[in-house]
Amino acid sequence: MSRAVAVVGVGQTHHNSKLPDVNVPEMVRIAVDRALLDAGLSHEDIDAIVLGKAPDPLEGIMQPEQYLAGALGAHMKPIIRVHTAGSVGCTTALTAATHVASGLYGRVLTVAFEKQSEGNAMWALSPNYAFTPPMVAGAGGFFAPYCRAYIMRSGAPSHIGAVVAANARENAARNEYAHLRDPMSVEDVLASPMLWDPIRFLETCPSSDGAIAIVMANEELAKKGPRKPAWLKAGATFTEPMYVPGRDQVSPLAGRTCAKFVYEKAGIKDPWNEIQVAEFYVPFSWYEPMWLENLGFAPLNEGWKAVDRGDQKFGRHLPVNPSGGVLNTNPIGASGMLRFGEAALQVMGRAGEHQVPGVKTALGHAYGGGAQYFSIAILGTEL
Amino acid sequence: MSKLRNVAIVGFAQAPIVAENPHRTAPEMLYPVVRQALANANVERKDIDYQCAGSSDYVDGRAFSFSQVMEVMGAWPPVQDSHVEMDAAWAAHLVWVKMQAEECDAAIVAGFGKVSEGSPMHVLNLQLDPFYHASLGLDHVSTSALQASAYMAKSGVDDAGLAQVAARNRAAGAKNPDTQLRQAVSAAELQKTPFVTSPLREGYLPPIGETATCLVLAAEGKAEKMCDRPVWIHGVDHRIEFQTIGARDLTSSASTKLAAKNAFEMAGVKGVNDAQVVELGSTTPAEELILRDALGLPSGLGGTSGGPVVNPSGSPLCANPLMNTGLLRLAEGFRQLSGRAGERGVAGAKRAVVHASGGHCLQQNIVWVLGTERRWT
Amino acid sequence: MNQPPEERVKFIQTDLVLPYHYVAGDYKALYLRALKDKKILGSKCSATGKVFVPPLMSSPDAHAPCEEIVELPDRGIVTTFCVVNVPVYGRDIELPYVVASVALDGADVSIYGLVQECKPEDVEMGTRVQAVWRPDGERQGDHSDIKYFKPTGEPKAPLESFIHRL
Repeated sequence: MSRAVAVVGVGQTHHNSKLPDVNVPEMVRIAVDRALLDAGLSHEDIDAIVLGKAPDPLEGIMQPEQYLAGALGAHMKPIIRVHTAGSVGCTTALTAATHVASGLYGRVLTVAFEKQSEGNAMWALSPNYAFTPPMVAGAGGFFAPYCRAYIMRSGAPSHIGAVVAANARENAARNEYAHLRDPMSVEDVLASPMLWDPIRFLETCPSSDGAIAIVMANEELAKKGPRKPAWLKAGATFTEPMYVPGRDQVSPLAGRTCAKFVYEKAGIKDPWNEIQVAEFYVPFSWYEPMWLENLGFAPLNEGWKAVDRGDQKFGRHLPVNPSGGVLNTNPIGASGMLRFGEAALQVMGRAGEHQVPGVKTALGHAYGGGAQYFSIAILGTEL
Repeated sequence: MSKLRNVAIVGFAQAPIVAENPHRTAPEMLYPVVRQALANANVERKDIDYQCAGSSDYVDGRAFSFSQVMEVMGAWPPVQDSHVEMDAAWAAHLVWVKMQAEECDAAIVAGFGKVSEGSPMHVLNLQLDPFYHASLGLDHVSTSALQASAYMAKSGVDDAGLAQVAARNRAAGAKNPDTQLRQAVSAAELQKTPFVTSPLREGYLPPIGETATCLVLAAEGKAEKMCDRPVWIHGVDHRIEFQTIGARDLTSSASTKLAAKNAFEMAGVKGVNDAQVVELGSTTPAEELILRDALGLPSGLGGTSGGPVVNPSGSPLCANPLMNTGLLRLAEGFRQLSGRAGERGVAGAKRAVVHASGGHCLQQNIVWVLGTERRWT
Repeated sequence: MNQPPEERVKFIQTDLVLPYHYVAGDYKALYLRALKDKKILGSKCSATGKVFVPPLMSSPDAHAPCEEIVELPDRGIVTTFCVVNVPVYGRDIELPYVVASVALDGADVSIYGLVQECKPEDVEMGTRVQAVWRPDGERQGDHSDIKYFKPTGEPKAPLESFIHRL
């Protein structure tokens, strides 16, 4: 990006399986108001709004930016709505950053949400498209075969998925906003029913309602803020088609390409040692070792070893998902922006009980579709 | 206004706009259009560094509908890509912003939507407030009718006036081989068509139709190599109003006025009369009159005339393929200014003002100013 | 009903009924009609020769037309799979069941299918399978014409032969 962009405020809801006391605009306003408060700003200071969320059928509202324009403070302002499957939250944040980097908008508010308890999420996510072979396995069933292929290819022992899940839950206990926070041991996970072998019930993300809002600003305005901002060092979104013959569905090329592009832009040569905290999009626990490899943190087939050694636990070499991640909080449209927002909070030193000490550089990541859409951001303490 | 990066439209292609294409799915309709647009812009896919699409899951009756078209955009090896759940005109704006941020230099914008597969009446109802408005069963024709009736009461325009506006557009459409309704119909004939929702007659409403579109944009330095007569973006701005229909002044379009003001300022022009062509994204005659007012154009009724040629394409009244309608207005601006508008070309046109709209009762509006020369030197 | 409700209205229930009729497109329609004749069709990329099943009009990798239609055998290998233990919305198959990614012989992309007539624990990555069709007279020209795949009993394919064809 030609001009510097910073995160100057973050706000989110306390995510839960249902947020029954608020409707969609009210839920979104909780996050927006918190973000503006955090940034020391009010609605008049915002020049544009970028909204992101997953499919409209999850709430039964088409193009919700229209219904939400008033609630988002968008009246007589520009607003767009991004939709790129599971990666949407992170892509939306990067789109907002692009708006600031263009020089045309000094401060941009970006919001991502999902209130999927209000619709029939399973129906919305498992559509039987006409003339397409029926989805006989659901969302988890789509990814489970590739987790199996990873285990086969890497020789990973079968307890790794459970270790990831137990770690993530331990992390979530330190995050007041996370949805699932009750203690859960590796034994608990291994004892839980196998849903789509090899993925177990307690290795699977929940369905959550929630919203997150972030305020981004240009250099001049960011430096005026009440707090030290998080600077966006690099970000990109890369996508690949589903039906490319011989496509690597375990470590998709689009993810590796995206990571390489972003590291180069941020001047990072050795992510394992130059990044202090990472928020990956892990909806099924096996994706943690898979993404460690895909994002270049671990060599091919060795991501599971980092997990086995505990290197990605809170307090160890490279904490992954100190927020608890998607495994413990999953408002689908917001999850990607939660990764971006949590990475920003770590850099700003404001992650509260789940703050990793000494963070200079953090990574936020999201993916979506049949592992096709990848969105990665690197945030840092320095410009 | 500081200097911005000059960005131009350098190519465009579309599928024929038809009521229904029973032979091709949405991606299959888009594939040849993408190939054609790349050929028109003398560029290979590998020299395009960004793509963005505009579409709607509800129009398509599929969640994650946009992922279908990843198969036909030439996205291998993996490409930088995004998608907005909006008319592709907003995808084009996102691309323009990205070029201003110097994050890409050449991009393709795609629009698609098999409107015939679903029922716009049912689906567009879902854009409304679920508690107070959608539950009333309001569809887009009903809300447009509310706006039309408010406008007629305020302005004194009557049924004959609406018919005249519609007839004008139908006459223009007859000269446009790329639109859907290509037969001129007289105002008298249109006035005989039954009311769908009063005061809007069948003849004052667009047909159901579908297409696929692809626009190629490039920054200065690349644009000149891709097109002999690139059409430069001089200014653009978009604004939304809050939705609540009962709380807005439906007889005027405040967001269009503001978007136009900002676009004109960016373009360094005083107003719409600095352009020779105007394309409005109006789907009813009342919308057209409201937009004309917002931009400072004469209504063209009762002998008023002068100013730029408005809606040489026939406007969305002649073709309203959802999710493509806005991009088609931009395409018309490109065709008019680059000598690709054939018989309907406005001779000597050097500047165009292009508008597109989204939501009920002109809730969200985008205004572009295009020109044959670079804006910033 | 002139009084406000005694209890606050906390939610409204709306059931949406949205009519859609989808177009298969000529390529998909051809494939489905052929299933009725116990044939599996694919299309071949004019640039790379890769075969897509079901047939695609254009190839996602080469961005080239795939107009040549080819017939494929109804046998292949399980490249990877999972065992489903939870009911899936809209499906009522007896649990547990195996869903596999099946690479048909000669195809360059895999299709999804059930693997039955065996115990789930007997399915492995590399298991060779054969399609089991609905009987003559019962096939409709849709995806259910292939009921499932069953293991052929042949030795499984070596990992290297399919690890890149998941």
